[in-house]
Amino acid sequence: MANFNIDSKKARTYDAIVIGSGISGGWSAKELTEKGLKTLVLERGRDVQHIKDYPTTNMMPWEFEHRERLPKAVTDANPIVSRCYNFKESSQHFFVKDNEHPYVQDKDRPFDWIRGYQVGGKSLLWARQTQRWSKYDFEGPARDKFAVEWPIGYDDIAPWYSHVEKFAGITGNKDGIDALPDGEFLAPHDLNCVEKYFKEQVSKQYKDRHIIIGRAAHITEPKQIHLDQGRAKCQHRVMCERGCPFGGYFSSNASTIPWAMKTGNMTLRPNSVVHSVIYDDKKQKVTGVRVIDATTKEMMEFYAEIIFVNAAALNTNLILLNSTSSRFPEGLGNDNGLLGKYVAFHNYRATVSGEYEGFLDSTTDGRRPNSGYIPRFRNVYKQETDFLRGYAAGFGANRQSYNDKSGMGESLKSNLLETKYGNWSVGSHMMGETIPKESNYVALEKGLKDPFGMPQLKISVAYDDNDEKMIKDYMTQVSEMFANAGFKNIRTNDNGRNPGNDIHEMGGARMGKDPKTSVLNKWNQLHVAKNVFVTDGACMTSTSTQNPSLTYMALSARAVDHAVKEMKAKNL
Amino acid sequence: MERRVALKGMAAAVGAMAVLPSWASGWNKSSLSDGKMLSADQSKVLAGVVETIIPKTDTPGAGELGVGGFVQKMVKDCYDQKAQANLAKGVDILETQSVKSFGKSFADASKEQKLQLLQGMEKSSDPDQKAFFGTVKNLTIQGYMSSEYVMTNLTHYEMIPARYHGCVPVKK
Repeated sequence: MANFNIDSKKARTYDAIVIGSGISGGWSAKELTEKGLKTLVLERGRDVQHIKDYPTTNMMPWEFEHRERLPKAVTDANPIVSRCYNFKESSQHFFVKDNEHPYVQDKDRPFDWIRGYQVGGKSLLWARQTQRWSKYDFEGPARDKFAVEWPIGYDDIAPWYSHVEKFAGITGNKDGIDALPDGEFLAPHDLNCVEKYFKEQVSKQYKDRHIIIGRAAHITEPKQIHLDQGRAKCQHRVMCERGCPFGGYFSSNASTIPWAMKTGNMTLRPNSVVHSVIYDDKKQKVTGVRVIDATTKEMMEFYAEIIFVNAAALNTNLILLNSTSSRFPEGLGNDNGLLGKYVAFHNYRATVSGEYEGFLDSTTDGRRPNSGYIPRFRNVYKQETDFLRGYAAGFGANRQSYNDKSGMGESLKSNLLETKYGNWSVGSHMMGETIPKESNYVALEKGLKDPFGMPQLKISVAYDDNDEKMIKDYMTQVSEMFANAGFKNIRTNDNGRNPGNDIHEMGGARMGKDPKTSVLNKWNQLHVAKNVFVTDGACMTSTSTQNPSLTYMALSARAVDHAVKEMKAKNL
Repeated sequence: MERRVALKGMAAAVGAMAVLPSWASGWNKSSLSDGKMLSADQSKVLAGVVETIIPKTDTPGAGELGVGGFVQKMVKDCYDQKAQANLAKGVDILETQSVKSFGKSFADASKEQKLQLLQGMEKSSDPDQKAFFGTVKNLTIQGYMSSEYVMTNLTHYEMIPARYHGCVPVKK
């Protein structure tokens, strides 16, 4: 019996454990297994294998019996996830339903928590925009004193951006913009006629404002490294959220997870809900993780030298807060009581739309899984407005087409089949940096358990006055840029969406130089438990304006490199 | 019973006419039949309504393409109870008015008579009747335009465009 236990423990011991298989977990797994570490990847949701488990990927529009609309019973039962733009008939199976995994939403400060519990996580569903941070983004907190200083700068991460970009496959144009560094790009997507026209107008009229094509995780020209992954050129279906049978966009499922599997060093364990990270009070060290098997509800333990926590920002906070021991009664690494605090997000509340009456003899052809992008231009080099930080913005134009739907009978029928062209419509949405604050936090609601007996997460996050001022400025500036370009019918809109609906929640376990004011060091290690690494959104000291996934990928690869060196040097 | 047999036969005929692989066919009988909330008679009136809105010409009309079933399915699954009740009510009003005005069931009325009855509803001062007409017309257009037949044969939907060109001349 004793021997059996020893063998059993040995069978549950790995070199490394990665908690989560989304964007950052997939990268941690790839890097660890490539470096020869036997790695256990724990995923709380079901397995989703590339292509095989994309049930809707090849369905034609008419095969969706509600034409992508969801039945009222579904939207009524799941009001939070139903507010997500991407939750629809073809993709709903990749989203967590509100009622399956409850959390506590602060009534006065509601946060919409959008989640994907499956192998691949939200990497199946993301918007695939991959802009690098610049040095100005990393220097922001130190310059403007709104958060602790980042312990790393652009130069620390730049080589790792290159490393992940080459593997993931990033389309983009080398624009040479100081505030938005160029990367390792595959051929860019086209800007259309009106987007190009707007680009010219803006560069004539504003010294520091630019319109560029977005940098996005789509393979526009496959390189050997992409073919080696079994991925092919993006086919412009623009149905990414169903899972792509070509592997045309980057997801853990199409890329990092099968790559890690191919090394022979990965064990992937779906349906494994991590309860906590184990701190051994005798050894004074983290030794593994406790897992609840989602199928049997049985609690089990796995052990490793290195733990990567990549459960997605807020679930990473939950796991660490729930990892209590005599040494860490308030959660692992939480000596300073900051764990779960300073949560921030991106402000996506405002849009500006308009029309352009030019280029009426032109239109676009095909579809584009990307759009134009306006890099941040506010407060980049110095503070110049009555609010802190700034915003980037999406920008796109498309030729309006419509059918005359008046009347009934044969005339209606022939009108429906005769497409007419209107003006070009132009539109923009803001992506604002928000300020991390102690009052924006997550905490354990210990009295309320989820279906696995884990405490539910209470989330309390709200906009502030800085966000309101930024919305106004965005509306004013973009409206002015539109008007100067001769766009008509310019309208601004505040969509009033809750924080969280942007799906860019960050922080709670922020990086910093000082263990008194931060949770992680410059290598994404817990200050006080050096063999635990957090490289998902939870680590973010500030949010800047860029879509964050590319930065998580780069931080993950960088942290693994350090972790393995430290392990070999016996420093962990 | 005979009506049901006839409807099933029609659906089969449509399937044969479209000549598409079976995996591409979402308009199969099962997806149509489980969405019904109207009686067989009411469904027949609704099929007449969608066919009047988009009639058969040298190509099939909305009735033949099963759009009546789509309208019912959408209202049943995606609309609130008020809209659901109003669909049945609207169908009954059409039937009653047809009998009153022309001495025959809506299904047996002529094309012109059906059009006249529907135009009456479109212009009705009763908000329920207007709402009925608006809902049915919009869903008819949606169901027709997104039907396999139309997207395959008339509007030539491309599942895999494999391209994006940002500036091309408008086809005249």
